[in-house]
Amino acid sequence: MWMSVEVNGHTYEREVAEHWTLLRFLREDLELTGTKDGCSAGECGACTVMLNGQAVNACMVLAVETDGAVVETIEAEADDGALSAVQAAFARNYAVQCGYCTAGMVMSVRELLRRNPKPTVDEIKEGIEGNLCRCTGYQQIIEAVLDVSGQLNAETKGEVRYV
Amino acid sequence: MNEIFKYRAPTSRAELLAVLADHGAGAKVLAGGTDLLVDIRNGLCRPEMVLNLKKVDDFQGLSWSQTDGLIIGPAVTVNEILDDSTVRDAFPLLAECGRTLASHQLRNRATVVGNIAHASPGADMAPGLMCLGARVQIGSQRRQREIPLEEFFTGVKRTALSPDEIVESITVPASSAGARGSYRKLKRIDGHDLALVGVALAKHEGAVRLGIASAAPTPLLIGGLFEENSPDQVLAAVRAAIRPISDLRCSKEYREHMIGVYVRRLLEEVR
Repeated sequence: MWMSVEVNGHTYEREVAEHWTLLRFLREDLELTGTKDGCSAGECGACTVMLNGQAVNACMVLAVETDGAVVETIEAEADDGALSAVQAAFARNYAVQCGYCTAGMVMSVRELLRRNPKPTVDEIKEGIEGNLCRCTGYQQIIEAVLDVSGQLNAETKGEVRYV
Repeated sequence: MNEIFKYRAPTSRAELLAVLADHGAGAKVLAGGTDLLVDIRNGLCRPEMVLNLKKVDDFQGLSWSQTDGLIIGPAVTVNEILDDSTVRDAFPLLAECGRTLASHQLRNRATVVGNIAHASPGADMAPGLMCLGARVQIGSQRRQREIPLEEFFTGVKRTALSPDEIVESITVPASSAGARGSYRKLKRIDGHDLALVGVALAKHEGAVRLGIASAAPTPLLIGGLFEENSPDQVLAAVRAAIRPISDLRCSKEYREHMIGVYVRRLLEEVR
């Protein structure tokens, strides 16, 4: 199907196969490989992107469904090489180990902070419940979100033990 | 996902129903896609045509009135329900069911009607909706009809829909507004998981209704109970209705046991 979609501020007009997911379109056609393919089944969240301002699993959306939509991926997060506040907080708090979940995690955190600029630990856990991380145990990621929302102190750090 | 199919995104209800009438069972209706795309990928479903209903204006609505109750259109996502102040104030049980469904990203796409139309035995929206007396409005080119939600489910992922029909809305009667209720979902992890069992209980004007997920081939409604019934009487009615199985998530015995635990807790907690 011939379609038009805005991705990271650029409008792309092209023919897209009906059975391609948004994830495949981003990675294979637009070559935006920052978005990762984990489970392809909506379980792991590695492919999370923003679709019209909402975090969604790109593997659970057909590319043709995004005709006329606005998509943002991890590639738009840094500004000319300078890390975004969320990315910098992830780095500062050691919230990245293998890095495979990170792009999706950052997208989910962005939507969470847009809805709720000062989330509690429980709200952070709910906000990232669709993003699996098998390295960090989540603690550093939760600390990074507390940090970027100006809430990281000895007391809140204590709250995130034993996630 | 390598299965080839055609795709249409009609902008009117009439066009969508016409395409569906032409293609019948070869067409699959796409709402949130969070079940359909997984089924296509796993080869459980091989549609010739995927028919996106999200561009139809008539299907977007989530509305409330004292005369018509709560009307949930087929494009309404689970997160839209959670963000709706009427749902939160008048139907907190529905919000509680919705919060347990999948993950935040999936709830941004997954629709309430899709959760029902997919007819999984573990559909999280079904127990709460059935407790609140929800009805299903079904449309096709041939006819319009309405049935109670408990009659919509006919088996595991089977429904009363004919191939040319779609669910045009689910309505919760205004008379159920203010029902006190709660949903308990047993999961293996405190995050995104399917229900090992899900138990909803509502008390309203002296009546007690229970909706149970993952305990039979379809979500179950157990009605005809009253606040004066003892917990043992309620539990006897539940035990007579459920038919749990053992599967990869847990055993039949564990399901039976936990349903009993949740029913007793809910009878205490919902006041």
